[in-house]
Amino acid sequence: MKKIFLSSLFFLPLFCSSELFLEITKGSEEQFKVAMIPFAEKKVSKTLNNIISNDLNRTGEFALLDESLLLPLQIDDDGEINYKDWKLLGIEYLITGNIVKGNNSIDVNYEIYNIQKSKKIRSSKVFGLPNQLRQLAHYTSDGIYESITGIKGIASTRLLYVSNIKSGNINSRYRLMLADSDGANEQTLLSSSESIISPSWSPDGKKVAYVSFETGLAKVYIQDIASGQRESVLSKNTQISSPSWSPDGKYLSLTLYQDGNAEIYILRLRDRVLTRMTNQFAIDTESSWSPKGNKILFTSGRSGSPQVYELDLRRLNAKAKRISFEGTYNAKASYLPDEEGIIFVHRSTDGLFHIALKYKKENFLRILTEAKMDESPSVAPNGNMVIYGITEGDQSMLAGFSLSGASFKLPASQGEVREPAWSNFLR
Amino acid sequence: MNKSLNTLFTSLALILFTACTSLQITEESVSNQSVAGVTLSSKSSSAQAVLANAVVYFEYDEFTLTMKSIQALKGVVRLMKENPRMTISLEGHADERGTREYNLALGQRRSESVSDYLIANDIKRVRLYAKSFGEERPLSLGSNNISWSKNRRVEIK
Repeated sequence: MKKIFLSSLFFLPLFCSSELFLEITKGSEEQFKVAMIPFAEKKVSKTLNNIISNDLNRTGEFALLDESLLLPLQIDDDGEINYKDWKLLGIEYLITGNIVKGNNSIDVNYEIYNIQKSKKIRSSKVFGLPNQLRQLAHYTSDGIYESITGIKGIASTRLLYVSNIKSGNINSRYRLMLADSDGANEQTLLSSSESIISPSWSPDGKKVAYVSFETGLAKVYIQDIASGQRESVLSKNTQISSPSWSPDGKYLSLTLYQDGNAEIYILRLRDRVLTRMTNQFAIDTESSWSPKGNKILFTSGRSGSPQVYELDLRRLNAKAKRISFEGTYNAKASYLPDEEGIIFVHRSTDGLFHIALKYKKENFLRILTEAKMDESPSVAPNGNMVIYGITEGDQSMLAGFSLSGASFKLPASQGEVREPAWSNFLR
Repeated sequence: MNKSLNTLFTSLALILFTACTSLQITEESVSNQSVAGVTLSSKSSSAQAVLANAVVYFEYDEFTLTMKSIQALKGVVRLMKENPRMTISLEGHADERGTREYNLALGQRRSESVSDYLIANDIKRVRLYAKSFGEERPLSLGSNNISWSKNRRVEIK
């Protein structure tokens, strides 16, 4: 009896999860030297401290002082600390905090000191329910990140991605997954025997749009995350793909194949009115909105090879402007928040695919990744990080990098993981 | 007489169809005429066998028909003419290289190429349903040239 129980326990995770594990591979070149005195409280503190330091490490912006080198913390009556001692250690910022556990609540209080300027720069409190410990930790690390770098943190954002677990040679199980930005707290939004691609967040983080092949024909669906309610966006008997939500949440740009060829349309969600945006003999697809919502980027084959184009939505009948000129394959582009830089998939002269960055003013691109089939980049809402799909050996998994040079991986415990999509800020 | 007229029409249609792609294909289709009889000689094969054998393969990043694929499609044209009520679906596929959405569109271009050829050969558009699975349904799972060439295809069903 005991044996049976044990073996079923053993198999359970195999079937229901492809849990991701965060691996930090590299930090930035110039890091902030930070010391964090572990937040005290029995039991919960270890988990919380671990999540916070993982979040901070993953950004690549911080060199955290090893715990064994920490000085004892002395706070005088004026709330000041022994700045001189920390200065001698070369520390730029000190983080202290504590956890207060109530009957049905947890408070996290934290302080940040600028050692060089000898002053406290932040004193904050984050509170929530006991089962929201991970979120509390992410909020805390986002506050720390923002105070020190001046950039809004993304630890409390979430990711969508598709996992594919094969059983045997033919049968596959595709799942649309939702997880915290560190890969924890994984939940299944949709499970299907047919492929799922191109997940896209609604700007408020409450809904997702994606392409499912469940009927044997690519169709775009919108699904409410909380209720699980889903619907096909158009009842047309035609292939529909590549959804992208406008920043105001009112429109969805789509690729429709109703003339046989891929063309970009914008769907007004309120009344499902469609407006055609491209009319070309060549392929037009992979539309993606600018953060201000007045332009879209898309991939077009009109020059003879896939290249990135930009369309200004403010002008009637505006002509699409070509943005990428380097090489014979540039696709699936998205904007950085300033709308000047774009991140996309680029095929190098050796035939390998990498994630590249191009500033519109520059006449060259920067290749940012180095595996061989890097795909589907998604930019974090602070514009400072990109998550994308890589293939290592014959295993596909998620990886990420910051524009300041840090990198990390999110390998799955099993199966393949791909098509990541980074949510907007959720706090 | 009737037959040669028909052939003439076919090659004319082909010239029209391929006018905007490349000269090479136009030439290939003409030189193919004598081969057609050979491909279609087996009368006993069922419709399914003809269709299963008429998988159309493509070059990397391409959606134009090759000489070999045109030969396979002649059997399909004959079958469709012999069975005027038959409708078929043309399922385009791509290899794993490149983005998934662009590959979905590329697979569609491939199935449309086959559809255009059949229409140019007097098969009515309403009998054809062109769609794409992009890189989502590979025939061969490896990441090498042999697998990729097997996966860049249009299946007729």
